[in-house]
Amino acid sequence: MQFKVSPLTKIISLSGFLALGFLLVILSCALFHNYYPLYDIMLFLLAPIPNSIAGARHSGEADFMSEGAGGSSTQDFPHFLTAMLVTSGLSLPLVFYHCKLIGSAACAMSMAGGLIIYSSIVIFSWFFHGNWDDEDDALFG
Amino acid sequence: METEPNNRLFRLPFKIPSFQGVRALGVYLSGTLYALGFWVFLDAVLYSKYSNASDVHVTFIDWIPFLCSTLGMIVVNSIEKNRLMQGALNGGSGGGAFGGDLDAHMAWQARTVLFCGFALLAGGLAGSIVVLVIKFLVKDYTSYPTLGMGVNNVLGNLLILGSCVILWVAQTVEDEYSYSLTI
Repeated sequence: MQFKVSPLTKIISLSGFLALGFLLVILSCALFHNYYPLYDIMLFLLAPIPNSIAGARHSGEADFMSEGAGGSSTQDFPHFLTAMLVTSGLSLPLVFYHCKLIGSAACAMSMAGGLIIYSSIVIFSWFFHGNWDDEDDALFG
Repeated sequence: METEPNNRLFRLPFKIPSFQGVRALGVYLSGTLYALGFWVFLDAVLYSKYSNASDVHVTFIDWIPFLCSTLGMIVVNSIEKNRLMQGALNGGSGGGAFGGDLDAHMAWQARTVLFCGFALLAGGLAGSIVVLVIKFLVKDYTSYPTLGMGVNNVLGNLLILGSCVILWVAQTVEDEYSYSLTI
């Protein structure tokens, strides 16, 4: 209650974080005139999509029986796809580095930038889902 | 049910997470392993294309084991696992004439498709080893940067096999849990 960070501050700081991630990846391309690491951005932007689609559909039919029995099998494929995309995004710069397509600095920068992009998207959705309850409490409490 | 808290032999210094958590964790681990296998194989392909000093190159022959493994994984994991149990439960007792017959037929189909899936998975692994032996070892390409292309192929297929096994186990554990819950 006393440490109330306003949602606007969260959004602004997260967008700065996201911009830092994009900056790292684009810098890893532009510094070496080698634009292969741009594929990393695509993979990390695709990574949160399956879970968010499944989560939106899952919260629409919020039912405590479908949690264990019906919803579990349909939740598996988004989880699988998310893990696959995140691991792909992490291993793509390593493979490019091993094949001597990019240098070691570009590899490290694009990996760090991609992780920052992915984590900021995840934290953003987390804040967003958490904020509904908090806002309701703040408004009506 | 190996994680039943009552009849456990050893005291564990940590708390075993719930079934839902184990299932999600297993599925995430399986996806990670699959992506690792894919990228380990793709590493060999890109290495052969861009920075290969020898005269051996990765061709379509090297892709066939990977394609077999992926197809086998799709086939194995898209089977409804209750169908496998159904025939075993109803076939021996011989309950309804039509119902039991239909269940046995479905179970037989499911087992055939499952066998094809596992055969594809094993064929993928065996094929990658065959490619490693025939294309690299027999022709005396035994120094490492060249041999790495064949070894990466075998490693990638092994990782895909491990991913399939973990996905199967994660889903089966959850099925047993919901089965006991409904009874």
